[in-house]
Amino acid sequence: MTEKQKELLRNLVPIFTLLALVLGIAAFEPGFLKPANLVTVTADTMTLFLMASGATFVIMLGSIDLSIQAIASMTSCILAALLPMFGGTALLIALAGGATAGVLSGLVVNYFRIPSFVATLAIGGIMTSVAFWASNERSIYISDEDKSTWLNWATGTSVGIDHEVVVGLVVLATLSAILSLTRFGRLVRAVGSQERAVVASGINVNRIKFFAFVISGLMAGLAGIVMAARLGSGSPTLASEFLLPAIACIIVGGTAITGGVGSIWKTFVGALIIAVVRIGMTFVGITVLAQQIVFGLVLVIAVAMTIDRTKVSVVK
Amino acid sequence: MESINWRALAPIGVFFLLCIVIAIFSPNFLSVSNAVRILNASAIPVVLVMGATFVILMGSIDLSVEGIVALCAVVTASLVLNDTFSANLGFWAIPFAVLAGGIIGAANGATHVFLKVPSFMVTLGIGFVCLGIATAALGGFPVRISDRGFRALTLGRTLGLPNGIWLAAAAVFVAYVIQERTRLGRYVYAIGTDEITARQSGVPVERTRILVFVLAGFFSGLAGVMAAAQLGQGHALIASGRLFTTITAVVVGGTALSGGVGSVLNSVVGVLIVIVLTNGMVLMGVPPFVQQGVQGFLIIVAVTLALDRRQLLVVK
Repeated sequence: MTEKQKELLRNLVPIFTLLALVLGIAAFEPGFLKPANLVTVTADTMTLFLMASGATFVIMLGSIDLSIQAIASMTSCILAALLPMFGGTALLIALAGGATAGVLSGLVVNYFRIPSFVATLAIGGIMTSVAFWASNERSIYISDEDKSTWLNWATGTSVGIDHEVVVGLVVLATLSAILSLTRFGRLVRAVGSQERAVVASGINVNRIKFFAFVISGLMAGLAGIVMAARLGSGSPTLASEFLLPAIACIIVGGTAITGGVGSIWKTFVGALIIAVVRIGMTFVGITVLAQQIVFGLVLVIAVAMTIDRTKVSVVK
Repeated sequence: MESINWRALAPIGVFFLLCIVIAIFSPNFLSVSNAVRILNASAIPVVLVMGATFVILMGSIDLSVEGIVALCAVVTASLVLNDTFSANLGFWAIPFAVLAGGIIGAANGATHVFLKVPSFMVTLGIGFVCLGIATAALGGFPVRISDRGFRALTLGRTLGLPNGIWLAAAAVFVAYVIQERTRLGRYVYAIGTDEITARQSGVPVERTRILVFVLAGFFSGLAGVMAAAQLGQGHALIASGRLFTTITAVVVGGTALSGGVGSVLNSVVGVLIVIVLTNGMVLMGVPPFVQQGVQGFLIIVAVTLALDRRQLLVVK
């Protein structure tokens, strides 16, 4: 196979997997294919996609962000705690909180030269502490009034389409544009493919990494806000269960953890695959409790299939 | 050579400095009963870092600690006299639980080596699989241990000290002997220092890597047994927070994440630093949720100080 054919195959496998899964479920439950149902499934998947969308940049660099679930939980707490006092400004403060976490991860990775999986694990711990502090160690409820005034953009419905889907598509379009149309996006891909070459050509790799982590933090923060809006509350453990599915959907979509290969729409498809797998498991009768087993295995298998072994002489 | 000496001694210096500072602020710190409390709280973390140190000495990482501990605690609680299953193996439950840990470790190691998947991804996935099994096997409920004799495994006292401390001491002895007196120990350092050279000099890299993950699984299994005996139950969340403490302790003790440098004794000092800090914060009235943040901060500081950054052109 030539490189082009390989690339095409890599692009098509996730899409066909998704189609096969959807048709498989439709065979059991024809109602699944009704447009209204498909929109609902997509809307339910968007928080996962939002969390994974920014982290895709980090993974494309060949790094990883293990703090996204902590960041999302934290912004849900900040939002819920500040909404009664500050109104819409609370949204901006929460987003700024997410971005700040990304800034810290970026600085720690760049200036202390700490591998990203440890740096983000540590930053995630710090964010969890902030979340507990901001929420006073409780769940904070968001009043219906605040919800309809400030969060309708995230949870409302217009012409039969849930707003989550709109938010997801806007993020998909924006981040895809950043990745494929800007110099920054091209350099993300370049650093992921051949970091030494990029360093050697005199490009400031640190700056690229820094912004990738900031985007990851910002999107995790947005995911936390949308989650809080949907659930009507913020809590320091709100998104704890989302780290594994979020990373899984990036990898399942076809973005390799070795970096260089990937795109935002792949993560979008990956998120839908994860969602459909989850629905399928419920159909087949696998309890929610056991689903982590499947996701854990899916993650390992997907990594094993997508990883580029020519790039790493020593696997640590 | 000087920098190596400094590295080996710095954690001990930090430990004593920490003790002095806490003793100044809180005179209760220096009582015998508090010293026993600190040692007792250190028991499970010490057993965990024994395995984690070997893995990190190879330059790899084990993120499945919480999953293995939880699953083995559930196995233990289900095999002794309990309120859910009709088993009553007493102390014979211990080899089964430790063996279960070893089997999961073997799964980690084999997946990592044969599929050439980086260890942080394998152990992340398999850790979640274990948590999933622990949750699903019990339908989300805990198993309560009704065997009082079994709980004496950690709660009983020998020569005035809780048995858990003796178990931890035995684990340190075993790990130290493996590190200093066996081929496996020497191979671990060789692989961590330079895997390619080690391979060329005839070190069986694959076998060593798998064995080390099995060893880490055994220690995590033992920690699971101890956790079950200490808390009188087994459930999926019994180990939450353990991973964080384990990695913090190993790196704070001075073992480098890049591999090759460090020792299990360093990690014992690392555990004492983390536990004394936690204990001191409790004595000084710092809210418990701040601890994760402080540990995150500690990880960053310790890794920064331990890394030889001149060698690192590329940090992922």
